[in-house]
Amino acid sequence: MNAFAPRSAAARGLALCDICELVTPVRESHCPRCGGRLHLRQNHSLQRTWALTIAATLLYFPANLLPILRVDSITGDSASTILGGVVQFWQQADYPVAIIIFTASVMIPILKIISLVALCFAARSGNRPRRMTKLYRVTEFIGRWSMVDVFVVAILVAVVQLGSTISIHPGAAALSFAGVVVLTMLAAMSFDPRLIWDAAAHRNATQS
Amino acid sequence: MVGLSVPFVHPFATSQQLACPDCDALFELPSLEVGEKAICPRCVATLQIHQRNSLHRTAAFAMAAGVLFLVANSFPFLTLRAGFRESEMHLWQSAVGLEEDGSPYLAGAISLFIELAPALLIGGLLYLVLPLLWNRRGPGAITICRAVVWARRWNMVEVFLVGVLVSLLKLGKLASLTVGTSFWAFIALIFCLTAALASIHPRELWARVETAK
Repeated sequence: MNAFAPRSAAARGLALCDICELVTPVRESHCPRCGGRLHLRQNHSLQRTWALTIAATLLYFPANLLPILRVDSITGDSASTILGGVVQFWQQADYPVAIIIFTASVMIPILKIISLVALCFAARSGNRPRRMTKLYRVTEFIGRWSMVDVFVVAILVAVVQLGSTISIHPGAAALSFAGVVVLTMLAAMSFDPRLIWDAAAHRNATQS
Repeated sequence: MVGLSVPFVHPFATSQQLACPDCDALFELPSLEVGEKAICPRCVATLQIHQRNSLHRTAAFAMAAGVLFLVANSFPFLTLRAGFRESEMHLWQSAVGLEEDGSPYLAGAISLFIELAPALLIGGLLYLVLPLLWNRRGPGAITICRAVVWARRWNMVEVFLVGVLVSLLKLGKLASLTVGTSFWAFIALIFCLTAALASIHPRELWARVETAK
């Protein structure tokens, strides 16, 4: 753990409430405005982010290897994975849809996991704080967008209820995939970007 | 705006200091003109925006979003026709359908993302902003404000819309699919809810709630 950067609120014992953003002396322990717990940096930020990111990475495998959708019809049952769905759209020459699903369901989760790992390392090294803070904001913003495929499953299951002719059921990957999205969102929420700036200040101080 | 006079509340009423949430740089509070934005010089985070008519706009968009939310949940969302068979889907069925199919966790998550979180956001904003027009606040306003902050993170109405569009394309080849009243209300809801949230900076909302009687 690095010392707090000079000219930071934490260096003066001031805590920013993470619910209502009021600046108060940290010795108050609870925010006088909203009652939230005060801390200079998020508790165990890196441990939590690492744990959630690793859990998300593990879930990423069943999410992509198992079928996300099961179609039961009189002509036979079939199941498709996320990548299978992308390939299907591609073969039907629906390139934009194929690209949207591929980006939202395959690319974004991987990129999120990679950036979370990069952020955890940056919080130790203090390399390029400005750029890493930008990466943090993108990671936080983009997280929800990979939920698209889970919503597609929900809609298909609800709308395709044509008696015995055809019915659609969620596959095992649907829950794993939702898990990946929620875990990476929680990981991004528990990451504290101020640690990057603390590390950067420490790095500058030791170099000069 | 006629009739209502909103007393000016300084955006950071209790604290004279402001810390950047992303890099923890400490500032004295800036005084912003209407339409101006305060940006952290170190990490370029947006610290505060002083919006024109923030309360009136938020109130107007939140009321519209409330009506649209009710409409979106009262009429059929999608109708599927294949041969003589027809099935109608309501918005809430996207979660209930999964529950009946034996996926309670997925169903719970989806109802949080597209029903609970937006309902909490709209209801919470209305509960806070309408009394604030007269500089008042109802009981439990602080708790509601915390709930709004929380719900903001888990609201996914716009992501759901992309899911709907992909589903339309996926099923369009198998059967004829038509969108209902609820679908259009839902699109308008996304616009109004986003506008309501963008019309007032959370920091300003907190300061106003705190100083209201």
